[in-house]
Amino acid sequence: MSGHGPKPEGFRTIPTWEVAKQPAERPRKPAAPHPATKKTLRELGIVEVPDEHKIQVALERLKEQIKERRSYMLAMESCVKCGLCQENCHTFLGTRDPDDSPVGRADLIRKVWKRYFTVQGRLFGKLVGAEDLTLETLQKWYAYFYHCTECRRCGHVCPFGIDTCEVTMLGRQVLFWLGMIPALHADTDVAILKSGNHMKLTKAGAIDTLEFLSDEIEEERGFRVEFPVDKPDSDIVYVPSSADFMLNPDTLKGAALFFEYIGANWTILSTMTEAGNFGFLSDQYRVQRELYRRLLEGAKQLGAKKIIWGECGHGWRAAKLYMRTMADMNNWWHIPVVHIHDEIATYIATNQLELDPSRIPQPATLHDPCNYARACGHTDNMRIIIKACVSDFREMQPNREKNFCCGGGSGVLFDDPEMYPMRIRFSQKKAEQVRATGVADGAEPGILCAPCSICKAQLYPMVDEHELNVEVKGLLDLVGKALVFRGKERLGGTNNEKNQ
Amino acid sequence: MPYIEVAGKKIEVDEDGFIQDPSLWDEEVAKFLAKGEQVEELTEDHWKVVRYLKDYYEKHGIAPMIRKLCKDTGFSLKQIYELFPTGPAKGACKIAGLPKPTGCV
Repeated sequence: MSGHGPKPEGFRTIPTWEVAKQPAERPRKPAAPHPATKKTLRELGIVEVPDEHKIQVALERLKEQIKERRSYMLAMESCVKCGLCQENCHTFLGTRDPDDSPVGRADLIRKVWKRYFTVQGRLFGKLVGAEDLTLETLQKWYAYFYHCTECRRCGHVCPFGIDTCEVTMLGRQVLFWLGMIPALHADTDVAILKSGNHMKLTKAGAIDTLEFLSDEIEEERGFRVEFPVDKPDSDIVYVPSSADFMLNPDTLKGAALFFEYIGANWTILSTMTEAGNFGFLSDQYRVQRELYRRLLEGAKQLGAKKIIWGECGHGWRAAKLYMRTMADMNNWWHIPVVHIHDEIATYIATNQLELDPSRIPQPATLHDPCNYARACGHTDNMRIIIKACVSDFREMQPNREKNFCCGGGSGVLFDDPEMYPMRIRFSQKKAEQVRATGVADGAEPGILCAPCSICKAQLYPMVDEHELNVEVKGLLDLVGKALVFRGKERLGGTNNEKNQ
Repeated sequence: MPYIEVAGKKIEVDEDGFIQDPSLWDEEVAKFLAKGEQVEELTEDHWKVVRYLKDYYEKHGIAPMIRKLCKDTGFSLKQIYELFPTGPAKGACKIAGLPKPTGCV
């Protein structure tokens, strides 16, 4: 099927007959993540709906959601099965399972919508593609909506403008209310409610880690940079990703070095140390709102004038697009919320930072995190920064808003035996893209810059699975390394002479 | 909820085998959990990491940053992976009785 609107450059439409012919690897029981335990559900305030009531509750919730968000009607009614989304979806390209494609996943809800909420579906059932909702269908929702990484590449190419990511969110929300939540998402949601971050990071743990990072900077650079926590009268509240405290120390250090360079009066809030928001990925009501509430209350107490966001794709999308309305912020307080990449790019564009790209001679490529690229207008600024920080930058193809997902988006970071192999398949396209840049060809590892905590968590093991000779790094990692602190820095080797 | 039985004690674990109540952890439990993480025998080097994790968790309520774990125990990340093939966050922490890490890990 073709001819529905202009095709985005570089994309080929699969004709309908070819889509139908594609080898269907439709597994009888699709791989699904481990479900949350009853204990976790209790902590989350959820009681799993008993099987005998699941269908009825699911239909009620589905109807409410579609009524509340009328944009879903477009997704339910407009799809013509052109197949364009299929070949643009990394999960379909990795698995070739038709249900694992945007159109296939949306159809899991669309058939039910037709059966119960349209006249033709009620009268003619299967003849018009309508299907009863069964427990088996719900299990399929659970599996396939947690395969989708909510990357919105399908939404970007759909000639009708159907945003299939929204359909996944609809499915996950209904499942949340039924108590069908993966352990990873439910446990993380509990951590949000209890600790204000994804990892149950405590204030004592945060301070100990930050002191360790101050020591590291002192050892490496010869001067000390402090990481203020809950400092009263701070101008800036910095929102790091909690994963930075565990896995991405150089990202946190890069942010602190930037703030040190510009002489910022900044702090980290111990009550909200999370740039991400798993609520946005599982429960877009109470859990999502909790992080906004903690942040705005904390920032207000400190008298902050600005909130600066750390490296996290989905979390930045949620904060940039939804925080204001969800927290009713405009009604009670005004505070600008900006991303640290945008801040740094502004300083670079106005010549206020000295960066030395010769400190990073390895070939480097940039993975555009999906939410930055397709929801936040972030692509130019990331390039301004990386080009100023590395000597040999190579674009990945396709890139920017056409980039493919890392395969772990929306928290598809499951490591259970059924799902881990799926993550390897979901990242197959990404591996091809990285390989084609040549950054992995040298004897020394190249750099795969992936400035988002989910991308990093997915790519750390995936570059090994796909045997790519690259190191995964954040963008702030590169900024921290390239920033030149004249007169302050203890320099070693060739940089020493150059910067004297 | 699944459980394991060690030395007559019944201990609740989640689907990934992490014990639910850290106060029930002891050396026997560690030895039992190690077998599921491709660690046949806990050597002195293993214990050094496991005890460090346990102490850190008791003090700070969270697992340490992986780089800090390496620095304080003197093992490189490569050595940690040799000791615990399933990795520091999921393998070593599980044996030390810490809860399964959540979020973007």
